[in-house]
Amino acid sequence: MTRIDVVDNHGQFTHLEQRALRDMGVDVELIDNTTPPEDVTADGLVLSGGPDMDDIGRCPDYLDLDVPVFGICLGMQLIAAELGGRVGSGDYGGYADVTVEITDEDDPLVGSLAPETRVWASHADEVKEVPEGFTRTGTSDVCGVEAMSDTDRDLYGVQWHPEVSHTAEGEEVFENFLAICE
Amino acid sequence: MVDVDSFIEEKKDEIAAAVGDGHAIIALSGGVDSSTAAALAYESIGDQLTPVYVDTGLMRKGETDEIRETFDYMDSLRIVEAQDRFLDALEGETDPEEKRHIIGEQFIREFETVAKEVDADYLVQGTIYPDRIESEGTIKSHHNVGGLPDVIDFEGIVEPMRDLYKDEVREVARELDLEEIISERMPFPGPGLAVRIIGEVTEEKLEVAREANHVVEEELEEYEPWQALAAVIGKATGVKGDNRVHGWVVAVRSVESRDGMTARAQEIDWQTLQRIQSRITGENDNVARVLYDVTHKPPATIEYE
Repeated sequence: MTRIDVVDNHGQFTHLEQRALRDMGVDVELIDNTTPPEDVTADGLVLSGGPDMDDIGRCPDYLDLDVPVFGICLGMQLIAAELGGRVGSGDYGGYADVTVEITDEDDPLVGSLAPETRVWASHADEVKEVPEGFTRTGTSDVCGVEAMSDTDRDLYGVQWHPEVSHTAEGEEVFENFLAICE
Repeated sequence: MVDVDSFIEEKKDEIAAAVGDGHAIIALSGGVDSSTAAALAYESIGDQLTPVYVDTGLMRKGETDEIRETFDYMDSLRIVEAQDRFLDALEGETDPEEKRHIIGEQFIREFETVAKEVDADYLVQGTIYPDRIESEGTIKSHHNVGGLPDVIDFEGIVEPMRDLYKDEVREVARELDLEEIISERMPFPGPGLAVRIIGEVTEEKLEVAREANHVVEEELEEYEPWQALAAVIGKATGVKGDNRVHGWVVAVRSVESRDGMTARAQEIDWQTLQRIQSRITGENDNVARVLYDVTHKPPATIEYE
């Protein structure tokens, strides 16, 4: 059975990420972001959202574990910041309803949602530039980089919250990530 | 989704094993969580459980009577009339966190009195999974009785629903034959109408909040909201029967949600909104305006404080 851990960056919705995976029948555990990388034995990791880029614990180290990683909100931003991209505050906060245009329909994480999908968001900061090796896979009127992927390293991120019930196709995103991990 | 039948059997056994020959107490708020926990515990240990309902004076219209009826089958039910004590304690306080704190403290005092009287060894709580998470974060302080174990030295605390989500609790409530009014009841915050009154809680504002909430719940029933409410948010001018009034502003909010974590403001038709406006301003001389809140969660929260 595939095991996925959700790394808690103290986001409000972290437990819903665990629930989404649990409801799909995945063996899932919520772990602290201070867990030493050598103790992480999952087949894939979800990096949760959270309020503070200075409170991401050992998350940067988990990117070298050679398992698929899926960053959500702050989780995506920290991947970008860590690997040479750029994160800054958006001109326009993204809250609640956002329509995301999927720009890469072959992307294993969000491609199946093309051409567009309605999501629920909650962020002031955003990824300004994706790191080398990454492709932008989604965009919207309020935020340039709504999703990004590096399929070679199996690192993925979305700026919105697939785990909340108001995101229309959130479950499908988790199904896609599960398929990547398998 | 949890398997309801096996969940109930498992938890009944667990509660009986935990309490043994002792006596347990539970704070019954009338909300879905504590009602479900109380029904579950009562099925398990009967009158070894004392459910305590404290009428804080911050309840919705008719709520105390409904509770009395619904839980009439529990012989050990205690109803504490504490309306005046709560209003006195809240006098002059305008800070939202401090208001919650005062209500929590007073609640503990009322509850403690009964706990000592019945010599309770165990505390049963209707804590659910998101409560634990939200209390750990910084969103807002959560439990009415959160500080209770510090005051009373219980032998143990039993939280049969600690791993459940709200929608799962409702499934359990339905299976326990709790009347529909409980299992389908809209979430109502522990501090009651106090969080639907910005600033100081006074008898006058409470009366407006209570009547307005009643109108909103009645008029919006067909929209099947997760939560529909009215809040007294300030004062503004109006003109009623050739007289200028400086009256209360009432905000109306109605949202749909699965779990309360995110919420969408509902689209309500103009006629309905006008009927709500007309009833609230017509039935309350001191209300000047009614507003409809169109903000989703996030960025807003569902409640006002």
